[in-house]
Order: sequence, then structure tokens, then C-alpha cells
Amino acid sequence: MLRCRDVPAEAEVLLDGELGFGRRVALRFHLFMCGNCRRYLSQLRLLLGAVPQMHGQASDEEVDQVLERLHDHSH
Amino acid sequence: MSSLHDDTSELAQLRSGDEAAFARLVRAHHRALLALARPIVGESEAAEVVQIAWIKAHAALKDFEGRAALRTWLSRIVINEARMMLRQRKREVFLEDMQPQGAGPFVDRFRSDGHWSAPPVNWHADSPDSLLTREELADCLATLLDSLPSNQRALLELRDSDGVPFDEVCNMLGVSASNARVLLHRARSRLFALVDHFEETGEC
Ligand SMILES: [Zn+2]
Repeated sequence: MLRCRDVPAEAEVLLDGELGFGRRVALRFHLFMCGNCRRYLSQLRLLLGAVPQMHGQASDEEVDQVLERLHDHSH
Repeated sequence: MSSLHDDTSELAQLRSGDEAAFARLVRAHHRALLALARPIVGESEAAEVVQIAWIKAHAALKDFEGRAALRTWLSRIVINEARMMLRQRKREVFLEDMQPQGAGPFVDRFRSDGHWSAPPVNWHADSPDSLLTREELADCLATLLDSLPSNQRALLELRDSDGVPFDEVCNMLGVSASNARVLLHRARSRLFALVDHFEETGEC
């Protein structure tokens, strides 16, 4: 039986698309029974979905610097 | 914004060589690419590596097929440039020791019978966007990212920020799948614990 303690690691393998069939079934069954782990998985999914945006946008100076070097390079 | 979903009309403009579209691309992804290069080549070389990557990307954009997200495609170019830079500098080690060390995450959140003793609280945020609209939380997350060991940081950037498939991340960084699992799990768990604490207490 999968325990709650095992769920965080299994959930990540699932989200990375690497969890095999048997382990996926075991995880799904645990999630069906366990609200805490369901909440854990849905919030982990939310968090990982936010990671690409955590860096914010570059400043005007940073953008200009990249474009300037680009133009120097192409001339 | 800098999500992993690309706009098709934006892509068409980029392929046709539209300069304003290219500037928007730089604005959206430059910081993420720096964050990827830094743990691999170090702070002082990261800007140069990313700059060269932008020049190469600009030349290659017309052939971009859109099979991967732009961010993923850009991060592959950065990794190639980082590798070349290290080769020129005759540095053999791509990243320092990839072995995970010390106690794992969440050890204090489970009872001895394996059930949660401190289960996650119910977060107010219901989307990735709403998670980051709270400035204080966004700042705390940025500080935590910067404090991660460079091997954890590089893995997290490639996998979760840049959307590179897990197998490819392991190959790129020369790390075994089992070590990568443990290291990624540590990095993600620290982010999770920080948000969970913030949702519960209103501070980091
Ligand atoms: Zn559970």
C-alpha cells in the first residue's frame, strides 16, 4: 500500500510523465481515498505551472543591450 | 507573458524577422535564460553565454518549426553555448557534484505510520497567475530560487521553467535519472513548503 509519505515523490514522477502503469494505478487509488494527498497534488501542479513565470520580464536596458549586440554582430 | 504557450501570430511575426516581435521575445525570456546559464557557467559568464545564444536564435528563428515551445528551444541553445564556453575554458566539470546530500524534504510532515502530521493547507491561489500576483510571495520565491544549490537550480530551470523533457534534462546535465529525481524533489519541495507556509501565515 502506498502511504501519504510516498506520495510527494510519486506525484512528481507522475507529473514528469515517467510513472509506470502499476505505480500510476497505486497512486490513483491512494488519491481516491485521501483528500490531503489530492490537495497536495493539485497544489503542486499549480506551483509548477507558475515556475516559468517566476523570473518576470527583462527591463528596457536589458532588452536594448541584447538588441545592440545583435546589430553590431550583423553589420 | 513568459508562459510555455506560444501565440501563433507572434510566431509568424518572429519567423518573418519582425524586430519588435524579437524584442518582445527577449523581454519575455531573457531573465529565465540567465537563470539557466548562471548555475552552469557562473554569474560572470552567464550574460555572455545568453547574449551569444540570442544571436544564434535570431539567425535560426526563420527555421523554427514550433515542435517545442520557444522557451524550450531557446534553453537548448543556451545549454549548447554554455557547454562550448566551458570547453573553451577547459573546465571539465559541467556542474559540481550532483550527489544529493543531507536529509530529504518533508521529513517532519509525516507521522511514523506514514500519514500526514502536517498536511498542506488549502491555498487561496487557484491558478499559477494568481499565485504570483502577491508581490511578497513572488519575492520570497525568487530569493529561495537564488539560494538553491546550483545542481538543483539547473534541474529546476530546465525541467519546470523551460519545459525540457526529464530524460533530456538528465542527458544535458550529465546526471543519472535517480539523482535528478532526488535533487528535483528537494528543490520542488522547498518551493512547495514556502508557498504552503505563506498561505497559512501570510508571511514567508
Ligand atoms: Zn495520502
